[in-house]
Amino acid sequence: MTSKTMWLLGRLMHRHRGGLKLSSFVRSASCTAEGAVAPPVDSSVTAEQAVRLWAQHFTLHGISEPLLSSQYIIAHVLGRKTLDGVDRRRLKDPLTDTERVSVWKLCTKRLTSMPVQYVIQEWDFRDLTLKMKPPVFIPRPETEELVGLVLEDLRLIRGESYGTDLRCLEVGCGSGAISLSLLHSIPQLRVLALDQSQAAVCLTRENANRLGLQDKLEVQHLDVMGDALLSKCGPVHFLVSNPPYLLTQEMQSLQTEILRFEDHAALDGGLDGLSVIRSILVLASKLLKERGRVYLEVAPCHPPVIRQMIEETMPGLLYLETRCDLTNRPRFCILQRRA
Amino acid sequence: MSSLLLRILYGFSPPLHRQLFKWPFVLAAGKKDLIDLPVLNEEDLEEQFVRGSGPGGQATNKTSNCVVLKHTPTGIVVKTRSVTHNRKLARDILREKLEVEYKGEESELLRRQNESIQRKQVKRRKVNENIEKKRRFKETLNAEDFGFKSQEP
Repeated sequence: MTSKTMWLLGRLMHRHRGGLKLSSFVRSASCTAEGAVAPPVDSSVTAEQAVRLWAQHFTLHGISEPLLSSQYIIAHVLGRKTLDGVDRRRLKDPLTDTERVSVWKLCTKRLTSMPVQYVIQEWDFRDLTLKMKPPVFIPRPETEELVGLVLEDLRLIRGESYGTDLRCLEVGCGSGAISLSLLHSIPQLRVLALDQSQAAVCLTRENANRLGLQDKLEVQHLDVMGDALLSKCGPVHFLVSNPPYLLTQEMQSLQTEILRFEDHAALDGGLDGLSVIRSILVLASKLLKERGRVYLEVAPCHPPVIRQMIEETMPGLLYLETRCDLTNRPRFCILQRRA
Repeated sequence: MSSLLLRILYGFSPPLHRQLFKWPFVLAAGKKDLIDLPVLNEEDLEEQFVRGSGPGGQATNKTSNCVVLKHTPTGIVVKTRSVTHNRKLARDILREKLEVEYKGEESELLRRQNESIQRKQVKRRKVNENIEKKRRFKETLNAEDFGFKSQEP
């Protein structure tokens, strides 16, 4: 920590009402792996002040989404999901000792660019709150749309209550977001979920237990690219996946949060981003019932390539449609096993 | 853009028109008993989707993606942590916030929170008093013991 940075921090702290003293800063500063130093924790501080203090501190250290990070972490310590879920008067009360220690501990983790979802060890996905643990891949908002798309399509095909007896295969379940969301919405659904990461398998099972869905979900530690599969797995009505689809060359320009903390195997789809997708489609043509569908989340450049791929090399599959995400990027492919 | 929106929302201060609006209140299930919570008029609600910047998909990890549910007459806002949200839950939180807003000092929710805090304080005081009593009693016992022993030949 340079003397210039210390001076700057001192100026920032004195700007607060009920300001924190520079002397106590020197005494009780604690270091992160980065060498970034947390502000002092001796003095009494209100929730509001802590939010501002840490937002400024995150900004100082180039941490992305500084204000949001601070708000989410402190709301979490106060037992809510967002800061506007905390009573406005509570925000002006001093944090208890326990709360303050907790806030400082969690925010210090954020200083290492750890994603907020890993810092507070949970995040929301559609109507569910899921446990998050590094390095298991954190669900993205686009994947919430994928689930919505699947539900909508199933209602079209099978009616408003999704018909009877539905079986699904999910490849690359991660934290279990897709499977558990589907199970939450469709009581008669039974799911087999796979992941090549043992950590992901464990986390999916943990989330299933927390949501009381463990009896409807089977999770297996398998690699669709390597393992000889699934003679045990009966035919399924549909297959869903958010497989690794980034191109290897895109990996190096990712945010620090992703590069440093998330499983690269959950992201890297090889040179063309299609290495895992290819295996999934081969699997689909073997495991799907007739006219069963595949729902995939992919990179924006993939849909035409996938269409061509199956037309040329996978005659058993029919390309149905491409759908865009809310940012208008081509994001989802729907395919069907031919009759 | 999303950070600007958040700055505006964070800087929000309470409206002064509390006395101008008299909302229809209905009984709704509260924590233990029924609390009057304001009825929500869907016409007064605005939903806005906030999307983070970046290439999107797996290449991006932003926490700014959310739904912002805004009650336009008061400007009160509830935010989610996901882009599709539990509509009922978000509306329930909004109704709680409106209850506090409209009733101010007389807010049922605030009253109950304060009561709960006060109950805990009274309980703690009693526990501490008991501990103190026991300690004193033990001291007198020891003192008697000592006195008795000193009388032994």
